[in-house]
Amino acid sequence: MASFTEKMGEVSVVEGMQPLVSLQRLRKRYPGVLAVDDVSLDLYAGEVHGLVGENGAGKSTLIKLLAGATTSDGGSIWVRGRQVQLRTVREANRLGLAFIHQELNLVPYFDAVENIFLGHLYPRHWWGGIDWAALRRRVRAVLDPLGVTLPLTVPVSRLSPGQQTLVSIARALVDKVDLLVMDEPTAALTSQEIDHLFVVVRALRARGVGVLYISHRLAEIFALTERITVMRNGRVVTTQPSSQVSERALVQWMTGRTVDALYPPRTPPTALPLLDVRRLSGSFCREISFTLHAGEVLGIAGLIGAGRSELLRLIFGAERVRGGELLLYEKGVPRGLCLRSPAQAYRAGVALAPEERRTQGLLLARPIYENTTLTFLRRFAWGGWWVRRRSELAATQRLGERLALRSRSLRQPVGELSGGNQQKVVLARALAGEVKVLLLDEPTRGVDVGARQEIYRIIGDLTAQGVGVLLVSSDLSELLGVADRLVVLREGRQVATLAAGEASAEVVLGYCFGVQPAAHPTRSQGGVDAGR
Amino acid sequence: MRADSGGARQGAQRWLRLYGTFAGFVAMVGIFALMRPGIFLSPNNLRNITEQVAILAIVATTMTVVMVVGDFDLSVGAMASLSGVVVADLLIQGLGVWPGVAVALLVGGIGGLFNGVLVAYFGLSAFVATLATMTAFRGLALFYTNGSTLFSGIPESFKLFGQGVTLALPNSVWIMAAVWGVTWFVLEQTTLGRRLYAVGGNAQASYLAGLNVRRLRLAAFVLSGVGAALAGVVMTSRLFSAHPTAGEPLMLNSIAAVFLGMTMFREGEPHVLGTLVGVLLLGGMSNGLNILQVNSYLQLVLTGLIILLAVLLSGLARRGE
Repeated sequence: MASFTEKMGEVSVVEGMQPLVSLQRLRKRYPGVLAVDDVSLDLYAGEVHGLVGENGAGKSTLIKLLAGATTSDGGSIWVRGRQVQLRTVREANRLGLAFIHQELNLVPYFDAVENIFLGHLYPRHWWGGIDWAALRRRVRAVLDPLGVTLPLTVPVSRLSPGQQTLVSIARALVDKVDLLVMDEPTAALTSQEIDHLFVVVRALRARGVGVLYISHRLAEIFALTERITVMRNGRVVTTQPSSQVSERALVQWMTGRTVDALYPPRTPPTALPLLDVRRLSGSFCREISFTLHAGEVLGIAGLIGAGRSELLRLIFGAERVRGGELLLYEKGVPRGLCLRSPAQAYRAGVALAPEERRTQGLLLARPIYENTTLTFLRRFAWGGWWVRRRSELAATQRLGERLALRSRSLRQPVGELSGGNQQKVVLARALAGEVKVLLLDEPTRGVDVGARQEIYRIIGDLTAQGVGVLLVSSDLSELLGVADRLVVLREGRQVATLAAGEASAEVVLGYCFGVQPAAHPTRSQGGVDAGR
Repeated sequence: MRADSGGARQGAQRWLRLYGTFAGFVAMVGIFALMRPGIFLSPNNLRNITEQVAILAIVATTMTVVMVVGDFDLSVGAMASLSGVVVADLLIQGLGVWPGVAVALLVGGIGGLFNGVLVAYFGLSAFVATLATMTAFRGLALFYTNGSTLFSGIPESFKLFGQGVTLALPNSVWIMAAVWGVTWFVLEQTTLGRRLYAVGGNAQASYLAGLNVRRLRLAAFVLSGVGAALAGVVMTSRLFSAHPTAGEPLMLNSIAAVFLGMTMFREGEPHVLGTLVGVLLLGGMSNGLNILQVNSYLQLVLTGLIILLAVLLSGLARRGE
């Protein structure tokens, strides 16, 4: 309670007013992570409130709690001074909360009118038929006050992304809305469309609607919001009036300081090239070039959607290469690589631990040993076809010990393991063959601190043996703590290549967001300085 | 106390889910044995049952392979009819028995290949693709025979497959046992089987683990096509005639058998052992109801209800977890 009144004191702008929606000490735990940790936040009518933070800071979970899409493990939600239980999205809607998600959930071949009224009662004629004229009138009654004109009778799939966003906003406004939550609404919009969207948001604010606006684009946050809340590692770092914070301060709050002890010391990389990526292009990535050396960890930084995963999949042969080339060095001799499938990649010594362990990495219902031997199954079979379970179990046992895998039995279904141990099974599979280049996509997402440290130790062991690692991570402190060098991607392009020594969180994040990095970052000492 | 009864309920649910189908099978045998003592369980009748289910068991076993990779094949019944009329016609025209059978199996393989290419390489859903080929195969069989039954001129030696007896068991049962044994071995003991299960478990993860997902799905459809064709050959030999729609009931019954079998395993994945129990359950039902002289139309109703019951029970038990 004390911290709550403190927060109230901070926001003198709206003191005395009753908050429209008040979140108090919300907590949400997922296996292995505290996604939302003691979060309190007040949202007011007629206010646009910005919510920022790195990927994984807990913003999405917070919205899910607010939308009733998941339930909290502690804390309370108050709407207009009354405590509420949000169990379903419908309940949230009934209380006047509406949500615009990144994916718009429109029916592509319905027109705007039908999409806007989807899930609402259609006005009807006396004989029961739908009264289309009345329907269109009511849609216009929603759109006109916002100054929005849309082609109403064309399938929405033929509208621009900006118009589609407006359709989904209009859908939210059919019922009376008090709080509109917008999650990255501008991700797919052109700057002109963004301007139009801003006009609409300001019109809503003028009508007394509260808006919670989430965006990675700091410029938008400053242009649109009255107050900004920064989240990091599931907690609220601070809530400030927008007029009183600088972009640089915001970035510092978002990144925070790093914990040195988490990252064990590593043997420095060799100068032997291992993998040459030359002007590599895919459907989204454009002309990416770098060299990975034996024993090196090369970090790939960037926001979600910057093309990081695609880059790994291009190298792995899981995505079509549209330009450029890959050279893999064998005893110092470069050989052109043309990987058309993951199968070929594994044969060449390139292995991937994919981003989504559960959907892309593992057979959850199958035992640990089957998951471990899947890729190199022939090695555990007589004549390459008659599976020898005993040899599978022995190899899994060995790899499991090496990776400190914890399980009841090697016959246990992988789905029963914790996130960290699942990740170890994915790594064990890659290590069942001869790995030269290991591609790691978010290897520590949803992994608790202990297992995290073990994964860093495994990375250290592998690089000491000459393996090269490409590490994609949304956790900037992890990149700075583990990687020797960083490649920063933004919108599919390589915007910077930095040595870990010259990279600080501010600089990297600046590149990620496309903000000019400050010449002399004030808080770059210690912590963020590579950690070794 | 609540936790206690909850635990007991969970235990009961787990038992029901894993052994419900098998218990149903045992109950069915018990009921028929009690109602017609000395008839249902007589060696003669048991031999009858195995002979009656042999053809279905062949189709259901290879159907299991397709369902292991997460697809299904609606064209097996039509394919069995087609291969049946093909082998009959070739034999009537004077081709040797073994070459005739080989051609019929080849037809099955090509049909399966066609299905597999449509599903695995052109990305059609298994439902749409095999529904279309089912229609086409049926049309081919009707066109080939002009809608009539082929029977005159089939050489006596062709009776070997469906009517011959070796070591006191019908040859059709031996053929079924061989198909089942080979399929069991492939699915449970070989790298191919492990990969097929992997694709069915998570196709995307299998692809990223370096498996050739398309080729594996294709292989499953080819196997299913050959299995259906083999069933067609045995069926023609057993009936000693070939009707262009004789195989139709095999499609739904084989899928039902695999579904019944799937309820028996913790992961809910198809398994040849479960499929065999499913086939015996369906076959035993129809045999027992025949002995009890239940109206054959009503038998269909009862069979449908039994399938629903098994799948519902296992689904409910699963949701309880």
